[in-house]
Amino acid sequence: MSFLGLGGSPNVSSQAKIQAAEAELDMVTGMFNQLVDICHKKCIGTSYNASDLDKNESLCVDRCVAKYFDTNLKVGDSMQKVGQNGAFGVNR
Amino acid sequence: MDALNAKEQQEFQKLVEQKQMKDFMRLYSDLVSKCFTDCVNDFTSNKLTSKEEGCINKCAEKFLKHSERVGQRFQEQNQLMMQQLRR
Repeated sequence: MSFLGLGGSPNVSSQAKIQAAEAELDMVTGMFNQLVDICHKKCIGTSYNASDLDKNESLCVDRCVAKYFDTNLKVGDSMQKVGQNGAFGVNR
Repeated sequence: MDALNAKEQQEFQKLVEQKQMKDFMRLYSDLVSKCFTDCVNDFTSNKLTSKEEGCINKCAEKFLKHSERVGQRFQEQNQLMMQQLRR
């Protein structure tokens, strides 16, 4: 919708484009922030003997990120299957 | 989706900067909570002990290094996923 009807239709698509870009940005940064939090909880010890990640922690973080992406795909597949089977009443 | 034109890009850039500022403040307060919870447990004095201070420094530094590493792996995984999608 254009503000007070000024600008006409080019504004509509402009806003929609920016909104879509914003949604994509939010999705990626949200996923990244979650990943940082989750893998920190799973991999980084709380004794803080050093300010560097030790060997085990580094390895754990690398695997944590890879497995998170895999999990993402698997859940995506399942959701798609559920969608195709017409659950949630979407395909009826 | 169509690419953004120059004017739209400018508007989007403003949005990105606002979000970065917000994200930075969130990171800051989260890190304070995390390092306070993990490091500060002695309340016999109102000053941080040297041990607590050392722990806080390491906690903060380590978190930033952790986040950097996750960022690198995140990018790699993203690229891998894009390559697979294009195939």
